[in-house]
Amino acid sequence: MYTADFAYARAGSLAGALELLAAAQARGEDVKLLAGGQSLLPMMKLRLAAPETLIDIGGVGELKGVTGGPAEGAEGAKTVIGALTTYRELERDPMITATFPAMADALAVLADSQVRARGTIGGCIAHADPASDLPAVLLALDATVTIAGGHGTREALLDDFLTGIYSTDLADDEIITAITVPAAPPGQAYEKFPQPASHLPLAGACAAVEIKDGTICRAGVAVTGVASRPYRPRDTERILASAPLTPSLLASAAAQAGGAEQGGDVRPLSDQHASGPYRLHLAEIMTLRALQRAVERASGNSSGKAGER
Amino acid sequence: MPASTGPAERDVAVTVTVNGEPRRERVPARTLLVHFLREQLGLTGTHVGCDTTQCGACTVAMDGVAVKSCTVLAAQADGHEVTTIEGIGDAEGLHPVQRAFWAEHGLQCGYCTPGMIMAVRQLLADNPDPGDDEIRRGLAGNICRCTGYQNIVAAARAAATMLQES
Ligand code: FES
Ligand code: FES
Repeated sequence: MYTADFAYARAGSLAGALELLAAAQARGEDVKLLAGGQSLLPMMKLRLAAPETLIDIGGVGELKGVTGGPAEGAEGAKTVIGALTTYRELERDPMITATFPAMADALAVLADSQVRARGTIGGCIAHADPASDLPAVLLALDATVTIAGGHGTREALLDDFLTGIYSTDLADDEIITAITVPAAPPGQAYEKFPQPASHLPLAGACAAVEIKDGTICRAGVAVTGVASRPYRPRDTERILASAPLTPSLLASAAAQAGGAEQGGDVRPLSDQHASGPYRLHLAEIMTLRALQRAVERASGNSSGKAGER
Repeated sequence: MPASTGPAERDVAVTVTVNGEPRRERVPARTLLVHFLREQLGLTGTHVGCDTTQCGACTVAMDGVAVKSCTVLAAQADGHEVTTIEGIGDAEGLHPVQRAFWAEHGLQCGYCTPGMIMAVRQLLADNPDPGDDEIRRGLAGNICRCTGYQNIVAAARAAATMLQES
């Protein structure tokens, strides 16, 4: 299968990429950025995308690598992940897997090893596949997106940045440069129910909880694969916040995972793989499992070791 | 690191070091690495199965890491090193992973085999002593329509032993 014909340019730096992008836009070309290409190239082969111009930013070194994190600063240090950091690099970064066990969970079950070798975190966010694993983790952990454009740099909450199926708030002349994750509690986990052929989640859920004296003092939850974009189930988070950890608490919180999100009621996707009601059911179960594992890890139980499955 | 190019072009000059030899060709920008290898260079050991990033028959090592060459543009490989199945061994001197597939009957029609072998090579580089579960998970990106995987897992395990003993 061939993609449609296109013109190709490779950027050597972020500034160079922004220039190429602006120039192509000035000529009125339909232009796309190419990072690892693990989502874009398949889409182009299926002719779901047929850009006239591809700007390859894959070699822009300044957008690669991880900085910050607990090792490098005081407690509360943020972790900044360059947009072109690959899944493989994240998966093999001991600071990332130790600090963000939910990310380790997701990276272990995301696509396959060859795809993880080239797919990038920035490409994943820009692609905004409604059934993509990592955005659920990043949402639950309150990640922000750093974006460079012709008019300077801006920062957006990932929750505001994702707008729908394959769509984000990224302007035509902008490039995602980094994802920043604030310090996170160790009680976190990601669980998914994969579609067996594609490995994409029919439903996936990430939970991050902080527990003090038997009470949940902080809870972040996000669900992916279920609606047009990964979302935070607000009622689930509300039930968990400041609640004493009782046997029934997690189940009653998870029961609301298909309830409401930022934009109102969750409207579940429905396709040949899973109906809307089935997806909502899976959302509840995956949320419950993620919460249970997150609580286990919060209490230092090693049976919830990151990336185990 | 390959330098930046000039303005966008529909034909691109690509230099890839394939199995240790620099190969330079001018190709349409949309040329996939797998077609560059098979059609430009005649290296037909790398197969195309699904062409949709699922089956892994097209697996090659790029800068030493296994990737799916149907999902990499030849232009993205410009300035990089690629190792194909032809580069890891030959009839006189099979690679240990090739020997293990032979010994354990890890193939039937052989269509998936070059990709399987390149993927097992990566798996064992990352994890020299994997358990069966880890092998199955590590090969999640490779599909075989014949063997039922049992003997592929056995071959990966045998290869691990061979590599550790050598
Ligand atoms: S041909 Fe590349 S993954 Fe199937
Ligand atoms: S041996 Fe026939 S596809 Fe694997």
